[in-house]
Amino acid sequence: MSEAAALVARDLEVGYRGGFALRVPALELRRGEVLAVLGPNGSGKSTLLQALAGLLAPRAGSLAVAAGGRVSLVFQRPVLLRGRVAWNAELPLWGRGVGRLERRRRAAAALARLGIAALAERDAATLSGGEARRLALARAFAAEPDVLLLDEPFDDLDAAGREQLWFDLRRAIGETRIAVALVTHELRQALLLADRIAVLRPGVLAQVGPRDEVLRRPMSQEIAEQVGMANLLPGAVGARDSDSGLVQLALRDGGALRVESSLERGAEVIAGIRPENVKIDDEGGDPGLVGPGVVCELVSDGAIVTAWIEWEGQRLRSHLLAGRGLGHGLKPGDRVRVAIRPEDVHVMPRAR
Amino acid sequence: MNRPAVAEIALRTLAVSGAALLLAVALGVPAGLALGRRRFPGRGLLVATVNTGMGLPPVVVGLAIALLLWRSGPLGRLGWMYTQKAMVLAQVVIALPLVIGITLASVAALADDWHLQVRALGVRGARASWLLVREIRAGLLAAVIAALGGILSEVGAVMMVGGNLEGETRVLTTGILMYTEMGRFEEALALAAVLLGLTFVLAAALTAVQQGRS
Repeated sequence: MSEAAALVARDLEVGYRGGFALRVPALELRRGEVLAVLGPNGSGKSTLLQALAGLLAPRAGSLAVAAGGRVSLVFQRPVLLRGRVAWNAELPLWGRGVGRLERRRRAAAALARLGIAALAERDAATLSGGEARRLALARAFAAEPDVLLLDEPFDDLDAAGREQLWFDLRRAIGETRIAVALVTHELRQALLLADRIAVLRPGVLAQVGPRDEVLRRPMSQEIAEQVGMANLLPGAVGARDSDSGLVQLALRDGGALRVESSLERGAEVIAGIRPENVKIDDEGGDPGLVGPGVVCELVSDGAIVTAWIEWEGQRLRSHLLAGRGLGHGLKPGDRVRVAIRPEDVHVMPRAR
Repeated sequence: MNRPAVAEIALRTLAVSGAALLLAVALGVPAGLALGRRRFPGRGLLVATVNTGMGLPPVVVGLAIALLLWRSGPLGRLGWMYTQKAMVLAQVVIALPLVIGITLASVAALADDWHLQVRALGVRGARASWLLVREIRAGLLAAVIAALGGILSEVGAVMMVGGNLEGETRVLTTGILMYTEMGRFEEALALAAVLLGLTFVLAAALTAVQQGRS
């Protein structure tokens, strides 16, 4: 186990008796780093966390926690015990026999860390949902863990609560240098804190890596869909340009792209392009220019404009900045020039 | 009937029922906690048995215990028939399912994740059990109150196995029954008033504890 690793799993298989199982070929949680595990509901995220927390014996494989390492798990729905807020925060310390004064001091520090020091004397049963969530997190920090596991930590929170919690968690994680794994079904929540991302497919942890690598280089079409690579265009590898080293990719539904790929001519592939990398070019100097298109539909959330652009018979999804960005003033029916840089096209072998 | 006789019957009632209550709680609470927490083969059958026991007709309990303790019965050599021990045994059999059943229901009413959360906090063993008792204490007091009510008001079984012997096994309920049959309503009413008062005071005390701490 390397210096930075707080928890290492190899060829792990977890699941309930008679139920489905999740296979984890390799997973490492490192100090000071946040790993987001992304998977649809029912893919075994909570089961995985329970196994990592030592609450569920693995069916196979190895699971190693750094010597003396403590693991804290925060459930999706906070389970608070009868009594005061402070007592709840003291529980993990009480559980291992820490003396009363020391317990109080550390619990108070944990409550302050999560911004709920003022609630210490309240009855835990009277807390709001957001306060209960913070108490559950404070309780986990009070345990002074080496590994912190969070089950859907931002679920059920409004945008403001989510942002504030993100801010507090980010700081708390930075200050304590603990290893964190959070699971979520929503990409945006995964991206809030993640340094690295792991993607679950039914029955298996399919890919794990640095955040940008997983976002830009998903290993399969299914993973690509899960990490928001919304444009997936089937095609075949064509001729290689000897000057640039780029290959021509003939798309099945029309049009062609120049891409970086080492695949042989004739190989059947999927070209994946993230929506934020489908640009419109208003200056005429973009090296990624691929041709004229027509704006079909537009949806704006105020910050990002999502545009569906018809290009060579394909409908490309594009995320453009609103406000003073390229999305500004765009209308359905507008003629635009579509630009996709070769390095932004991720070529995956096509599944049979 | 004079005052000392009433006081003596009341004290004996307290002693017999108190012993039965202590035994039923001491046995029933751990059994209820275990049944509520653990999953094992045969658990469903046990729970069904407990639920049946919660509605057990006391005279049937009396009959069963009388058959066991009768001189020629399997436990006849103990010589418990028509003693306070037999009465305590009958009352424990009546109260035990109530204690187990209500404890079990209190544990079952906890959130599904409660036990998992306590384990996840690293609380194990005796401390975990203490937390559980603390969490469901309102339910446990309800179990005690129900058991007390069942025991104090019971007459059929203690009559059958105790025999209502004067100075030995006569308690408030059997005394009331006897004096009513004899037409001595004054004595019956006196004992009934003591029984009611006793039940009220004990239930009120337990209720005060329940309300004050939950």
